[in-house]
Amino acid sequence: MMTKLPKLAFRNIFRNLRRSILSAVAIAVSAMSIVMLFGLLSGMESDMANNLKSYYTGQVRIQNADFEKYERYNPLHLGVDWKNIEPILRDNSDVRAATPRINFPANMYLGEKSHGVMGIGADFSKEEAFIDFPSILQGGRLPQEGKNEALMGFALARDMHLGLGDKVTLLSTTATRGSNAFTFEIVGIAGFPVAGLNANSIWAPIDRVQKFLGMDGQAQEILMLLTDGVDEKQAALQIKGDIQNKVNTATDTRSWTELNSFYGLIRIAKIAYYFIAMFFFVLGSTVIINTTMMVIFERMREIGTLSALGMQGSELTRLFLLEGFFISLIGSAVGVIIGYVATYYMGKIGLNFTEAFSGMDIEISSILRPETNVLTAIAVWAYAVVISTLSTFIPSRHASKIQPVEALRYV
Amino acid sequence: MSNKPKKLQRYNRLQKIMILGILLFSIPAMIFALSADEIIQEMDRLSTFETTYSTGSIQTLDRFGTKTSLFKSWSQGKKDSLIEFTSKAERGQKILRTEGSLYLFYPDAEQLIRMQGAALRQSMLGSDISYEDMTEEKNTLDNYTAKLEQNETFKGNECYVLTLTAKTRSVAYPIQKIWVDTETYLTWKAEYSTAQGRLLKEMEVLETFVSEGRVIPKQSKIEDKMKKDSSTLMSVDSFEANPKLDRSIFTLENLTW
Repeated sequence: MMTKLPKLAFRNIFRNLRRSILSAVAIAVSAMSIVMLFGLLSGMESDMANNLKSYYTGQVRIQNADFEKYERYNPLHLGVDWKNIEPILRDNSDVRAATPRINFPANMYLGEKSHGVMGIGADFSKEEAFIDFPSILQGGRLPQEGKNEALMGFALARDMHLGLGDKVTLLSTTATRGSNAFTFEIVGIAGFPVAGLNANSIWAPIDRVQKFLGMDGQAQEILMLLTDGVDEKQAALQIKGDIQNKVNTATDTRSWTELNSFYGLIRIAKIAYYFIAMFFFVLGSTVIINTTMMVIFERMREIGTLSALGMQGSELTRLFLLEGFFISLIGSAVGVIIGYVATYYMGKIGLNFTEAFSGMDIEISSILRPETNVLTAIAVWAYAVVISTLSTFIPSRHASKIQPVEALRYV
Repeated sequence: MSNKPKKLQRYNRLQKIMILGILLFSIPAMIFALSADEIIQEMDRLSTFETTYSTGSIQTLDRFGTKTSLFKSWSQGKKDSLIEFTSKAERGQKILRTEGSLYLFYPDAEQLIRMQGAALRQSMLGSDISYEDMTEEKNTLDNYTAKLEQNETFKGNECYVLTLTAKTRSVAYPIQKIWVDTETYLTWKAEYSTAQGRLLKEMEVLETFVSEGRVIPKQSKIEDKMKKDSSTLMSVDSFEANPKLDRSIFTLENLTW
């Protein structure tokens, strides 16, 4: 009987094919949605990680120990000595690349109008390891060291009606807590993946920004990329210790995961989504529960006959559980495959959130590319099968409790 | 019986003399008492020279330490003023106020920056003084209605205490309470507040000097009450009243010389 039950259950699926398909479709839609949701979340997570490492913090970031405490006052005088720290980083085999940067809020003056922007002083030769500038350049070239030249985000240039060759004057607070203004010529327009950088950023050679802000030889922060396999937190601690010992400077040196709370939120969100997925499947399973209950009522006469012929209650439960299992198996598989293919396709073409993200200061790219992951897909499939099968347990148990006499009344 | 009326008559005479005396003394005081507007006009008149040239410093003390900026300043009448910074960090930066507009010149900027509206209230060189404070026009009654509150002694100086209420919304401080010396018309102290009475800034003169018979602040302390642990000492090191100045120094064309 044990070997016959699966065969019987499988055959029963086809007795009312339309209803079985409906149940399978409900499971499939749930599985497909979850695969796509995880794909989107995974895409967001890796996109954000990539952007944070490239544009914001590197894998490890060094700042003056007191900078964060006074950050709201834009304390540029609390910088880090790039000239002294660079040799230490060069000697460290864990550090693959390092670059100094100066981020400064500024007012950009165009005639009588002014507009708030974020200025970034960067060493473009060292930035190559962090940012693939050639791929994001929409026009012109990179600013040259020693020249008052700037690269501008395309949305800012568009909104301000600026183009290559135009000049802009930036007014900002300096490291001496005074103010200064500098005029830069726009030599390049870039399409950064992050909306905030497109809408607000102006990049200029760090040597000119140092002169502008009175920060000779200083950087506001140093970003680093590490060699593969190096533990970021450990490396940050070691670099911090090295700088303290060798140049007697207290720094705030932390890994990117420690610095970005929003990224941590995405990781927490991922855990939350596992629970949301469970509810999705339970919701999808209501169809299969309903179907199984209807099947039980329809086959009451059959259940009575089988019971009268000696079939145990537990075997009846297994029979209906197996039916639910097979429908879940097929439905989940179909859903996961469709979800996987759809996610793969969306990953290829990208989802354009430019309008939705405009004006938002988040480190996620405007064009999101969901990511497929075979292991995640298999996990979702297994998860869907287990939850849906367990959901059919409730009506299936009902079948085992039906008395043959009562069931035969339906004859 | 006969003594009483005599005493009464003497008393009445004494009373009449006292009333007459009081009247005689108070009439000139009433005639010569200044109205609030007259006090302000005199204050503005005495603080305004045909031309001036001065040098001085702005010392700002905040949570990050002390910072000193040196400047040279020229003024002409009520509306024109030019400040040039000479300390290393700001060398060559200039602020020009003329024709009701304020312009900033920076040596490395190819364009002049015109400060307008709220930007005028921004801190100058991180101090407690705003651009508008530094270059304010001496025509108080154009923008404010004055009311004499009382007389008060401030640090041993007899002062008129006046409240100035803004006529327009374009001024930086809707309410000003000022302590004006009754003799020299120097503003010893000022409290600048919002229309709701929230204190924004406080100024107090610490030292003075005399030029052309007028008392001028030599050192003033300004505290922006919106900033925590911050104060600014503005000192005048040298002062020349009515020097011969080329009118063109207050023009945009000459700002970049």
